[in-house]
Amino acid sequence: MKKRGEYLFIEKNGDDFTISMTPELQDDIGTVGFVEYADADTDTLEVGDTILNLEASKTVLELASPLAGKVVERNEALISEPTLLNSAKPEENWVIKLTDVDEDAFNKLEGVTRYIS
Amino acid sequence: MDQEARLDYLIDYLLEENIDTKEKMDQYERGTAQEKLALFRGLCNVRPPEPVTDQFTRVQDAFLTQWNNARTLTALNDLEAIEPQLYLWQGDITSLAVDVIVNAANSDFIGCTKANHDCIDNMIHTRAGVALRLACDAVIKAQGRREPMGKAKITKAYNLPSDYVIHTVGPYIDGRGVSLLKEKLLASSYRSCLALADEHQQKTIAFCCISTGEFNFPNGRAAEIAIQTVKAYLSDTRSALNVIFNVFKDEDLHIYRAILGMKE
Repeated sequence: MKKRGEYLFIEKNGDDFTISMTPELQDDIGTVGFVEYADADTDTLEVGDTILNLEASKTVLELASPLAGKVVERNEALISEPTLLNSAKPEENWVIKLTDVDEDAFNKLEGVTRYIS
Repeated sequence: MDQEARLDYLIDYLLEENIDTKEKMDQYERGTAQEKLALFRGLCNVRPPEPVTDQFTRVQDAFLTQWNNARTLTALNDLEAIEPQLYLWQGDITSLAVDVIVNAANSDFIGCTKANHDCIDNMIHTRAGVALRLACDAVIKAQGRREPMGKAKITKAYNLPSDYVIHTVGPYIDGRGVSLLKEKLLASSYRSCLALADEHQQKTIAFCCISTGEFNFPNGRAAEIAIQTVKAYLSDTRSALNVIFNVFKDEDLHIYRAILGMKE
């Protein structure tokens, strides 16, 4: 199941929730040139906490988390290759994987119409 | 020293610093007092954030104090509230003698670096003095990266009649127009400034029309977001802040009057 919040996609796979870029957000920020994860030492995020700081051609922005949860994995490849955030492929433009996410909070997010892929 | 003698001292100092500012100012004349003021302002604008001597600071502060106070200053008491805690005032934000004024900064954060550029960032930094650029530079170096949109940072106001400047980077609107994200970021700029002013126990904050100048946000929509965000913040947090919407252009004055339900 896929939802959206804070201009990001959130996709649920089993217990994991993967947060990735939406085309609208990609369009708004332009080509990404710099990515730095905020608080790389902490393993939990609250709603609204900064996931990462990015600098793109049109924007300097902090990406805020649409959900609270425990960090499973960060997309470390973004640090050396920030333009992956501009990719159309979810396996490249994902930002963070969370677990221990409140299912109700997830269900309350805006739904995403499924297109045939 | 009179004002012109101060300007001469300051210009000589800035020209002799040898930090690559000279060639940027080649086209400037140095005859009349007006030309000297433009040359001094331009030199400060293009100058990198490097320390100055105590002597420079003394002369600069004396010059700026007299220059800033030569205008009519406006305090909260001079204004009439439209409704509790909300005020509208047209004029130059650098002549407001209130606790906090808001600067529309950019992500580089050290103030406008174009000589004599006619933007609010330039005017605030010029009238505050070179210490403001040094303070902003220290803030951004401590952060370790450029300033994101929708956040806020506080510094002293130095030679300005206000006590503090809160700097925020609003969203930049390009040819594709306003998006929901950009609207949200503009609201976030207003909220971040209000929260920071409250955190520092300030009583009055004056907002410029964030993002509407160089950053191309449509004036009408920006004013709606500004007023809506401020009202929501005041009622949600029960903040006691007095908020002045400072407009410069007649266009913005009409827009704010209309949204705030005032008669023309």
